[in-house]
Amino acid sequence: MLVKTAIKVTNLTHTVTANTGDLTILKGINIDIKEGESVAIVGASGSGKSTLLGLLAGLDVNTSGEIALYDQAFSSMDEEQRALMRGQYVGFIFQSFHLLPSLQAVENVMLPVELKGDKDARNKAETLLDKVGLSHRLTHYPNQLSGGEQQRVAIARAFACSPKILFADEPTGNLDEGNGKIIIEQLFELNQSQGTTLVMVTHDNELAKKCDRQLVMTAGQLVEKE
Amino acid sequence: MSFAFRLLLRDIRSGDILTLIIALIISVGTVTAISLFIDRLQLSFEQQSASLMAADRLIRSDDEIPQSWLVKASELSLQRAENTSFSTMIFAGDTLQLSQLSAVTDRYPLKGAYLVDDTLFGTGKSFTKPPQKGQVWLSSRLASLLNVKIGEQVEVGESRLTVAKYLVRDPGSSSSAFAIAPRAVMNMADLASTQVIIPGSRVRYSLLLAGNRAALNEFEAWVTPQLNEGQRWRTPTQKGERIGDTIGKAESFLLLAGTLAVILSGIAMALASVRFVKRHLMQVAVLKTLGATPKLLVKVFFIQFTLLFVIGVVVGLAIGWGIQGIISSLLSELMSTSLPEPSISRLWLGVATGFISMVAFCLPLMQRLIKISPMSVLQPSLKFEQNTLVIYSIGFIGMYGLMCLYTKGFLLPTIMTLALVGIGLLVTVIGFTVFRLGRSLTSGATSGWQIGLASLYRRLVPNLFQLLVFTLIIMLGLILVGVKSSLVADWQQQLPEDAPNHYLFNVQADQIPQINTATDQLGILRSDWFPMVRGRVISANGESVQTLYPEEKGEPEIYERELNLTWSETLGKGNKLVSGDLAADGLSIEQRVAQEANLSLGDTLTLNIGGNIITLPITSIRTVDWGSMQPNFYLILPKEILQNYPANFVSSSFISDDNAQPFYKAMSQFPTVSILNIGDLLKQIQNVISQLSQAIQLVLLCILSAGGLVLLSSVRSTLEERLEEGALLRVLGARKALVQQALFVEFGALGLFSGLIAAAGAEACLYGLQVFVFQSQASWHPLLWGLGPLIGVCIISAIGLFASRTVLNVPPMHLLREF
Repeated sequence: MLVKTAIKVTNLTHTVTANTGDLTILKGINIDIKEGESVAIVGASGSGKSTLLGLLAGLDVNTSGEIALYDQAFSSMDEEQRALMRGQYVGFIFQSFHLLPSLQAVENVMLPVELKGDKDARNKAETLLDKVGLSHRLTHYPNQLSGGEQQRVAIARAFACSPKILFADEPTGNLDEGNGKIIIEQLFELNQSQGTTLVMVTHDNELAKKCDRQLVMTAGQLVEKE
Repeated sequence: MSFAFRLLLRDIRSGDILTLIIALIISVGTVTAISLFIDRLQLSFEQQSASLMAADRLIRSDDEIPQSWLVKASELSLQRAENTSFSTMIFAGDTLQLSQLSAVTDRYPLKGAYLVDDTLFGTGKSFTKPPQKGQVWLSSRLASLLNVKIGEQVEVGESRLTVAKYLVRDPGSSSSAFAIAPRAVMNMADLASTQVIIPGSRVRYSLLLAGNRAALNEFEAWVTPQLNEGQRWRTPTQKGERIGDTIGKAESFLLLAGTLAVILSGIAMALASVRFVKRHLMQVAVLKTLGATPKLLVKVFFIQFTLLFVIGVVVGLAIGWGIQGIISSLLSELMSTSLPEPSISRLWLGVATGFISMVAFCLPLMQRLIKISPMSVLQPSLKFEQNTLVIYSIGFIGMYGLMCLYTKGFLLPTIMTLALVGIGLLVTVIGFTVFRLGRSLTSGATSGWQIGLASLYRRLVPNLFQLLVFTLIIMLGLILVGVKSSLVADWQQQLPEDAPNHYLFNVQADQIPQINTATDQLGILRSDWFPMVRGRVISANGESVQTLYPEEKGEPEIYERELNLTWSETLGKGNKLVSGDLAADGLSIEQRVAQEANLSLGDTLTLNIGGNIITLPITSIRTVDWGSMQPNFYLILPKEILQNYPANFVSSSFISDDNAQPFYKAMSQFPTVSILNIGDLLKQIQNVISQLSQAIQLVLLCILSAGGLVLLSSVRSTLEERLEEGALLRVLGARKALVQQALFVEFGALGLFSGLIAAAGAEACLYGLQVFVFQSQASWHPLLWGLGPLIGVCIISAIGLFASRTVLNVPPMHLLREF
């Protein structure tokens, strides 16, 4: 069976304007990520990993080159269309969780489902929270949850719309070892059960090793780690 | 729609959006309360003034009122009454006396009431109907001069009328200050049979009107083009009249208070919006990563802000309505009068305030939210990308527009806006210098002082902003306090308790010593005697008045009629020399009439005095305080010229209620002397002034409370950072006292500087307001320089420490988790 390409990056270059002048962070990057694959992007702090992740998810516009999700190139889209793409294909997990403080745990998970106009948001959210072991925390606000619990809510939120691609930025970066392990387990479990493509930026070697592929970011270049 | 609504409900529950709604409610509520209250006061003043004039509107005419006017008034369903007033001899047996007689129709007075009594020189009871046919009411003085009592008859022309009451006050008398002879009133139905009015008689006809404002305005528009030189349209609060001026100043004050309320509400909205955006930036970025498109976000925010607007405006209007009701009822208790109901049509101002506040403050910020890059969830430093200056400029323009709308003019808003810009610059410069100095004087973190002062510089921009907000609020409060106290002092000074309330006219030189003796015996205070000679200006700089004003259109007052001339070697009380020399051999002229007639020093006026033609140069210009109730004159001539003419003398005096009766009795020995009693008018004015003073104090209280609320929300807006820092300090082992001291130093310093700058700003603003808006003498306000810093330090540190108390009492771990 032919496996589809989920993400295709061709000659990606990205330059930002800094105080000291223009700074090229990414220099001619090429990647192909297949559907269902899990990929870890590793590298030193400040090497441009998070910038790459943001560009892959269409959160920002690259300077040159091409990024396409499921053969749809971002370069031809405006912010409106990119947002629709994200809603359709993409889920996110962040290092600092980014739950909305004014919403309860269940409402945070409902949010992406509601954005799609799905009426069954609450059921879906409760099921997912149950899966990550938080059925007893549904109506808690983020500041009433521990870091590990917050990240589990974030995982539930990320999977709420059954995304085809999940981007994770240092998902265990703010957690202790025990909580980190739980998060990783749940992440991979959901990933496999839903057949999601996973692209993850991490410093955690253990976590990176769990992925199918590891890409190392050095000096604006991405190299496959054998 | 439903998504936006659900999101809004969730936001309301968490309290984030509440701050915004509360700010909107405060804005709408304060402006509504003040504008409704002002409306009620204005209506009340109009009614009071109307009772002084006996009508809502009045036309005074030297000719009979045309029938067509009466018809038009009836068509417009206006109530009308007529008053025909003239001087005539009244006879009682062999005694006769010149008197000022008014013949009035049955509905007179339309507003206010007569004050009449059954005993001679009594204080009077209110009476809203005029004398019946066949009756006459005589003033006590006239009755005693004629030696008649109630029930006896007097002759007026060919008719005999029965004395029915003693007249204490005629409701329309305030507008006829030149009625020197003692007064009497009769019914219009008897006028024809007296046959006293013959062609050529000097008669003043008045048509009095009352009714709704629209009909009155329509009548005014219709009749004004038909008025000739001898006819005047009068409204109760005519500019230039004492009571009109007093009310005008009070209205300016209330308008100013309202304008300040608009600024306060702008600050409240700006603070709340900034806080809202700060707390929502990351949320919107996250929503974007979840697939929310810009279009959807615009829709969501539009629906949310519309709902906010509706809630804020409805609740704000209701609260505003309630507050003005409370203020009015407090005032009614103090004044034992009730105010007229407010007009619902004034509510639009509250709605406009809400709308402009939302557009000026929320829309630019909403745009900022929508424009946030979703990338900022990965790189938080990307958050701020829109020009803050643009946002505040839009807010500022919105506020200016609102003030213009509110005051229906540009002067007040422009003064206030310039002051705000000036204060902004001052705050930036002083704040930056002082905070930096504070930082360089301290190093280390061993005492609360060092930490507090260092914090000022470390959070330079937020602290400068906070300093600006504190300064503005304190400044607005100080301005109001300053204006209020100088306005009230000004009024009280103008009309002291013993302000002269009687004028003595037509006094011959040989009567002066006797009258002096009589009044001295009664302990009555009296002004100097001023000689008075009648004369008319016939030409200016050699050109005759007829040539200058052939159609008598726009003729200045000094050319219009015969004037009372006087001589004086010194400046009378309330007179101030503007230019020239009073002792020079020429004319001294009052400044306002000089300006009206376009005359200046060196110009010549030719006068006809008793048939002699005299030409004199203008050698001095004076200002006159017409409110001093002293005899005042447009023209003062050299003594050498006037002393050759027969003069009579005038003086003013204060007659208390206690010695009124003995005074009138004593004066009845001098039947030729005329007495003008303006005591009732003065009492009315004093009443209005005390009502106004109470009213503006209540409004002041209302605005200051709103200011306090804004101050509180301003402290809260930057509290998070301070709390976080306090929590960190405590984690690092700082004692409660140290954190407390640091917070006290930081808030105290902010309060001190904002108080000082606010005092400077308020002083500058007061100068502008006094000179341009209230047109009074600019004065220095030492009180503000003490009050400003004191309020700053005490209130701001108290609010700051109170709001930060959690950092001292809650375990630091709890706090850190919140951030």
